[in-house]
Amino acid sequence: MIKNYIKTAFRGLQKNKGFTAINILGLALGLATCLLIVLYVIDELSYDRYNTKSSRIYRVNEDLKLGDNSVQYAVCMPPLAKTLKAEYPYVENAVRLKNAGSWHVKKGNSNILENRVVYADPSLFDVFTLPMISGNPSSALAEPNSVVITETAAKKYFNSINVVGKTLVLNDNTPFKVTGVIRDVPKQSHFNFDFFLSMPTWPDSRSNEWLRSDYNTYVLLKAPSDAKKLEASFPELLKKFSGAQMQAQLNMSIDAFEKSGSFFRMNLIPLTDIHLKSSLSGELGPNGTTQYIYIFSAIAIFILLIACVNFMNLSTARSSNRAREVGVRKVLGSDRKQLIAQFLTESVLVTFVATLLAFITALFLLPLFNQLSGKELEINRQSLVWIVPALLFISLFVGAIAGSYPAFYLSAFQPVDVLKGKLATGFKGSRLRSFLVVFQFSISIFLIIGTLVIYNQLNYIQTKNLGYNRNQVLIVQNVFELNKQAKIFKQEVKEIPGVINATMTGFLPTSNWKSTAIYYKDATLDQKKSLFPQSWEIDEDYVKTLGMKMVAGRSFSKDMPTDSAGIILNESAARFLGFNDVNKILYKSQGGKNTLDNVKKYHVVGIVKDFNFNSLRESIGPVVMTLAENTGALSIRVDTKNLPALLSQIKNKWKELSPNVQIDYSFMDQEFDASYRTEQRTGQIFIVFTSLAILIACLGLFGLAAYAAEQRTKEIGIRKVLGASVSAIAGMLSKDFIKLVFISILIATPLAWYFMNKWFLQGFAYRINIQWWVLVLAGLAALFIAVITISFQSIKAAIANPVESLKTE
Amino acid sequence: MAGMIQEAQMIKITNLEKFYRTEEVETIALNKLSIEIATGEFVAIMGPSGCGKSTLLNILGMLDDPDAGSYVFNDIEVAHFTERKRADLRKHNIGFVFQSFNLIDELTVFENVELPLIYTGVASAERVKRVEEVLDKMQIMHRRNHYPQQLSGGQQQRVAIARAVVNKPKLILADEPTGNLDSSNGNDVMELLTDLNEQGTTIIMVTHSEHDARYSHRIIRLLDGQSVMENIMV
Repeated sequence: MIKNYIKTAFRGLQKNKGFTAINILGLALGLATCLLIVLYVIDELSYDRYNTKSSRIYRVNEDLKLGDNSVQYAVCMPPLAKTLKAEYPYVENAVRLKNAGSWHVKKGNSNILENRVVYADPSLFDVFTLPMISGNPSSALAEPNSVVITETAAKKYFNSINVVGKTLVLNDNTPFKVTGVIRDVPKQSHFNFDFFLSMPTWPDSRSNEWLRSDYNTYVLLKAPSDAKKLEASFPELLKKFSGAQMQAQLNMSIDAFEKSGSFFRMNLIPLTDIHLKSSLSGELGPNGTTQYIYIFSAIAIFILLIACVNFMNLSTARSSNRAREVGVRKVLGSDRKQLIAQFLTESVLVTFVATLLAFITALFLLPLFNQLSGKELEINRQSLVWIVPALLFISLFVGAIAGSYPAFYLSAFQPVDVLKGKLATGFKGSRLRSFLVVFQFSISIFLIIGTLVIYNQLNYIQTKNLGYNRNQVLIVQNVFELNKQAKIFKQEVKEIPGVINATMTGFLPTSNWKSTAIYYKDATLDQKKSLFPQSWEIDEDYVKTLGMKMVAGRSFSKDMPTDSAGIILNESAARFLGFNDVNKILYKSQGGKNTLDNVKKYHVVGIVKDFNFNSLRESIGPVVMTLAENTGALSIRVDTKNLPALLSQIKNKWKELSPNVQIDYSFMDQEFDASYRTEQRTGQIFIVFTSLAILIACLGLFGLAAYAAEQRTKEIGIRKVLGASVSAIAGMLSKDFIKLVFISILIATPLAWYFMNKWFLQGFAYRINIQWWVLVLAGLAALFIAVITISFQSIKAAIANPVESLKTE
Repeated sequence: MAGMIQEAQMIKITNLEKFYRTEEVETIALNKLSIEIATGEFVAIMGPSGCGKSTLLNILGMLDDPDAGSYVFNDIEVAHFTERKRADLRKHNIGFVFQSFNLIDELTVFENVELPLIYTGVASAERVKRVEEVLDKMQIMHRRNHYPQQLSGGQQQRVAIARAVVNKPKLILADEPTGNLDSSNGNDVMELLTDLNEQGTTIIMVTHSEHDARYSHRIIRLLDGQSVMENIMV
């Protein structure tokens, strides 16, 4: 019996090749897209889960509030890790990571710049699951000047992974003994390093200071339930260890500090939440956001829905053509159950083929998708464990739903009715089908609007006036490599023709160099009158080189010896302090045992127009700039038609001063773009998926229009015999669908406007308003696509010979 | 009730009524119609369009149910059978031949004829035997692997008849079996039906053709849902 069903199904599909192709392709495309998105989402959700102890690992975050300033840190005090382990028996272990910045690693005669370098405590391998290929995990990081490297780094520098005991020279002068080689840190890790330097190498790691935070600190608890207990004990812990230091430095007790409205508190974040939910000061790398997970999941569901609705719509549309077959089968003795089984088998068969095709399509598209998303997704044995059952389930489910209409509806009729073809009459009458078309098109229009909004927002970010000029700025990184000659380098570069100006500092709007400090309005260091800004060290050429504008006062100047105690505020800082003029005074503690005796007095020399230095998702915070030598980078404003020549001149100057260390340079606009790469990628993915969704929806509409025309062949013939023109008939056939598209526009537009405002744009401090033309454009686009799709079929039906169409009955 | 008639009675309908309703009009298709048909008879039903011929045939074939009256088939009252029971009775006892053949386009000649055997649960080997037998008899064996569209009208109707008889039904219902055929092919079909009747199958045929009706034993003439005349053929 089954054989007979499959045979009939197969031949029927073969007979209607166009329909079959549309139906299977649409579903396959939808399923493939959905599969890719699911892979992406699962990848995002799987961060840090490679750690076998992930459920027991937490990172300690810190919340600081100082007067009206507040900051959240992903880093904590230097002695916290060892204290937690010593004080609380349920803390099984603790480990600190400290980003070590960029290092030059010697290979042969050259020095290669490596950015993925970190200091780590010896307990690293006990807390995190980083399998060691050779070396002893428990002692590898115990001694100073030891380094554990990844497989990739080992191969890069030694062409081998058996390198324990060998030596790596860092920064041209410091030897490190390789004490272990680990497998590469999984991509799905919130930190990703190739060089783990032993923490004892870094003297500061032994610091006992409780009033500063710069170590990413992780705890491994004996049980996940201990997290609450540990969090509850933090206030007590802080009081015990930092109380004395606060008294000495700030001249107040913790209680008094809290009473003044300020606080510093600690809390725990589960390791597996970090990637998607944490974007604090001092993260070890850029994290993702749940926002995109939601958006992508929604798109995946949308696309799946559109594809399924298509499939059902087309299947049921076609099934009415099969009423006669149902009748014949009934007459020949088939009972209802057998007919239901037949239609379901057929439908599931088709979905199964589509699913198979979807899987193959996804396999082929994966490399492209990876390129687009910047991920390294793969379909491997582990993912097959869920993909195969999920796809089987979907094909069964969609097949069953799509087949259920003909199965239950057609089989219920009196055989004599179906035989006479009474069911084949009503395409227009199908409310359900109209509803489904509206549903599909609403989703498509929603996605079109979403894409336009995202595109506009990203465009806005890229063209926004940032408060500085990022074009034509060359940044030479790590000028500190030149040691005392850094200043000479700056002088000589400034003299090269084509160089307009140059400023030496690592603190740039586009760089990751960040530093904070506390400034007070009065000499008693009263928290209530404090400012907790970015504190940057710049030189006299900074404002000019970067094209910033002063709104009051002046920039630093060589001719003003008092500028060493001068300060430039940005507008935000001035606003916060209530300064709208220069000649104001700020105080800053210089540290040491007795803070109050060691306060430096600064005078405000200028206020600079606000400029963006964070992501445009965040609003501009206060910045305080002081005049000091910082050799982090040299930013050079150039104006030349022959950039390569200029570049080689700069390179030569560098080589003269430092023959062993390679120059490392970039352009400021590229750095800026890089910081929005994730956003751009997301935008591109969004556009691709939306196009696919619309394509699938159109495939469905195309098929439906074809069937509508076919169903009404006789009517079309009669109308033509009676004198209807081609355009009148095409219009008549299109009208029904166009009406549905209009209804979809009415439904989707307000929803899209609301959700894009609420979900997407809210995430940006600097954002566009959704313009009315975006909504109109989306509606017109949907209408245009629909009209093209439908009219192809309508015109085809309308120009057909009426004799032919009348013969079909 | 049964056994009152000398010849074995196959069908007895009494006061059969059938209405078709639309929102405004109620049409009477069968108006208290009573007919008896004996086993082995060849009966033609005639009458103008709309007289209720096809409705009667559908009810006799248990494709449709009457609104009132009684229908006894082989001593069983079937007027109010459920669809399931009717389907069961139908597939074992009745074969259908239609004016428009009603072959399934997606199946070959062989598969079309095989279909009723599949639904009655005949084993595969037995099916092949019986289908080949009946195709042979209908002289369309050479077309067994063709699809309906590849056949002439006469050939298609032969296949349809083959399909109707493959299950060895006691009754064949034919609805204008020659209506879509030329006279030569039409005569062939009528000869086939006569042969089947001579071998013992009861045949009820709806027709517009006096020529075809002459092949039957008896003509029942309907008008407005009622039997107005019966001619016994000699």
